[in-house]
Amino acid sequence: MSFWDSIKAPLDISTNGQEIDSLFLYITAWNVFFFLLVITGLFWFSYRYSAKRNKKADYTYGNTKKQLLATLAIGAAVFFAIDLNITRMSNDDMLGKFWNFPGDEEDTIKVEVLAQQWMWNFRYAGADGVFNTEDDILTNHELHIPVGKKVEFRVTSKDVIHSFYLPNARLKVDAMPGRISRLWFEPTQTGTFDIACAEMCGTHHYLMQGKMIVHSQEEYLAWLGEAQTVANYANDNENIDNFWGWKWETNK
Amino acid sequence: MTYAHGKHAEPKTFLSKYIFSFDHKVIAKQFLWYGIFFLLIGGLMALMIRWTLAYPGEAFPVIGNWLFPETGGVIPPDTYSMLFTLHGTIMIFYAITPILIGAFGNYCIPLMIGARDMAFPTLNMLSFHLAALSGLILLSSLFFPLGGAAGGWTSYPTLSTLVGSPGIGQTLWCMAIFVLGASSTMGAVNYITTIISFRAPGMGYFDMPLTVWGLWLTAILNAIFIPVLGAGVMLLIFDRVFGTTFFLAGAAATSGTGDPILFQHVFWIFGHPEVYILILPAWGIVSDFLSFFARKPAFGAKATALAMTTISVLSTLVYGHHMFTTQMSPLLTQSFMTLTMTISIPSAILFANWLGTIYKGSIRFTSPMLFSLGVVFVFGLGGLTGLYLGTVSTDLYLHDTYFVVGHFHYTMAASVLLGGFAAIYFWFPKMFGRMMNETMAKVHFWGTMIGLNGVFFGMMVVGHAGMHRRLYNPFVYEFLQKLIPINTFITYSAFVMGFAQLPFLWNFFHSLVKGKVAESNPWEVGTLEWTLPSPPVNYNFEEIPVVQCGPHEFGNPNLPEGKDFQYQTEKLVEA
Repeated sequence: MSFWDSIKAPLDISTNGQEIDSLFLYITAWNVFFFLLVITGLFWFSYRYSAKRNKKADYTYGNTKKQLLATLAIGAAVFFAIDLNITRMSNDDMLGKFWNFPGDEEDTIKVEVLAQQWMWNFRYAGADGVFNTEDDILTNHELHIPVGKKVEFRVTSKDVIHSFYLPNARLKVDAMPGRISRLWFEPTQTGTFDIACAEMCGTHHYLMQGKMIVHSQEEYLAWLGEAQTVANYANDNENIDNFWGWKWETNK
Repeated sequence: MTYAHGKHAEPKTFLSKYIFSFDHKVIAKQFLWYGIFFLLIGGLMALMIRWTLAYPGEAFPVIGNWLFPETGGVIPPDTYSMLFTLHGTIMIFYAITPILIGAFGNYCIPLMIGARDMAFPTLNMLSFHLAALSGLILLSSLFFPLGGAAGGWTSYPTLSTLVGSPGIGQTLWCMAIFVLGASSTMGAVNYITTIISFRAPGMGYFDMPLTVWGLWLTAILNAIFIPVLGAGVMLLIFDRVFGTTFFLAGAAATSGTGDPILFQHVFWIFGHPEVYILILPAWGIVSDFLSFFARKPAFGAKATALAMTTISVLSTLVYGHHMFTTQMSPLLTQSFMTLTMTISIPSAILFANWLGTIYKGSIRFTSPMLFSLGVVFVFGLGGLTGLYLGTVSTDLYLHDTYFVVGHFHYTMAASVLLGGFAAIYFWFPKMFGRMMNETMAKVHFWGTMIGLNGVFFGMMVVGHAGMHRRLYNPFVYEFLQKLIPINTFITYSAFVMGFAQLPFLWNFFHSLVKGKVAESNPWEVGTLEWTLPSPPVNYNFEEIPVVQCGPHEFGNPNLPEGKDFQYQTEKLVEA
């Protein structure tokens, strides 16, 4: 593996991850420009105006109105030309994509996620399409989703704050006790990818690992059928703890 | 000054001179020792963290077997959590704060504004003694069953409540922070009062050295926001000890319900200004030193002071960018993002002024100057990388990764530490009456610079590659396995940075006893402390000086031949 490959961000398998990568590049371009400007000044002035080369310093007071205005102009230029641009782009991405949750009429995969020390629990509504009922499909550690379809998550936590982190989709959202947070994305490739907990959640935080298995549509349906069969006879419906789910609230 | 008649006699006994001293110069040194002591502990913890990340499951060299006999020298995962928690806590509250604010705040403020002491000397003494008590509480927590706090320096509930941290260590952590908060507040009130009412006659606010400006703004932020943190940790103590549920929710709350996110709000209302509390003194010091050693008036000194003031105000309005992943409303994220971006206006002004100051100067590359130029370099990197994190969408990916860790180490650790070292090298002759060795100082500077850039830039690289924070062994994740070599590189750099502190320690202690005796003004600088002998006598000024010009009077063409600066007590020479 080349050095460059070894430090690249993980493979992006989502429809929107590229927005984050491209904004990152855009900011990087400006940062490189400004940093070069600063260090060019820093090194060039240090070299050119060292006491050895420049015996006598200029006597300039920088408090004149002209100089004050000049510095303010630099600041304002940076703000209006670059910062507000970044802000606008980011806002467009957030409102248009990341927080533009699928409407009610859309056919999406819906998953409820319960984080706990130190594992991920996933819940699918099952055959009746209603959450927190006896036929729900329950998995832990493994999240199965089909490629090319929007997946919606509702995330909460049983004990401490965790963070549902999908590096390959460039997304994360905190899992907080007492709150339900939302996340959605659409996978574009099949394969097995890591799910991580990004918020410190105790001694074994580092082991709170899950796997996201992105199937083809057919494979997913096969898995779903099998999982439904298993759920129908293996779900322990006497155990109240198995009903950690909640009624799915639609997006407004 | 009123107390010219009521001067106390110089203290003679060891206790009254070194332990229960009212003298701001002695209290400053107490804070300096305290800060350096904790800096060493925090630094050692950093090396242990880095060791674990590069060589998971291998024994820590040399002292590993002595510290962790049960595991054969390997750092266990629960200890690892304590290490990064206490590393953060110690570096921020017990190393940087005491050195920059406790030591140099105490030392510089009265000397630089021409006062005989702080406004409230007893409060000042109490401030240090509370800090010492707090340090004792924090360190003692390590010796209780289940060990010290392990919930990260942010100690978010519900992890930091009994749900996640049953040991007494977390309670002691909260108490230590509360006591330290009281100490900082006392210091802050003292600094603010002293600066407002004890400035020498003739010294307007814009005649104060920028160091004093930085310390003053820091003190104001401290006085306003440390009590917020105090309230937060006090509520946390209530939750832990008295069974309240301020921060418990969901299944964790057995009676009533609170909200763990409330703590995050409280914490970051304090926590974001805290970043500037740490960096403002360093900015002030750097702004002064660049002018002192470029032998040129500080370019736009007034604009620098006002830009620092603007940043202090803005710093109170942006804290929400630490909480983007808690899914606050889009209206709030937009506001916090835009407000965060406005900080780049005053920051750009600061950089323009710093470069404007050294432009056409006659730069003397002494150790304080080298460290100051170093601050401009690392703060450039630290400041610019903040853009990615203030932007909501990129923060979705980068939040809680090593990118954040690299970014805030550049701003808070690298910049502030380099600023602190600059200050130590600069004021050491005044404090102890002896010079430090310049060659050793330069070895220290280059070793530190190379090491720290390797560490903190490396952290940003692995962060962008997706590596998240606070992992005992990141390489259980498939997508992080390719990062093993670069993590090893970061660890090597950390050891370079660690070993680069040895020449500093040697230099510091050797110079204390054997250093060349310092003249009263070895750097040829005109601020008030350099009009005094090194070290200054009890009560500093025999006669309170009258200030007649600004702190950066260098290279005035009307000065007589062979002199390129004038003291603040001298009238500005005119043709």
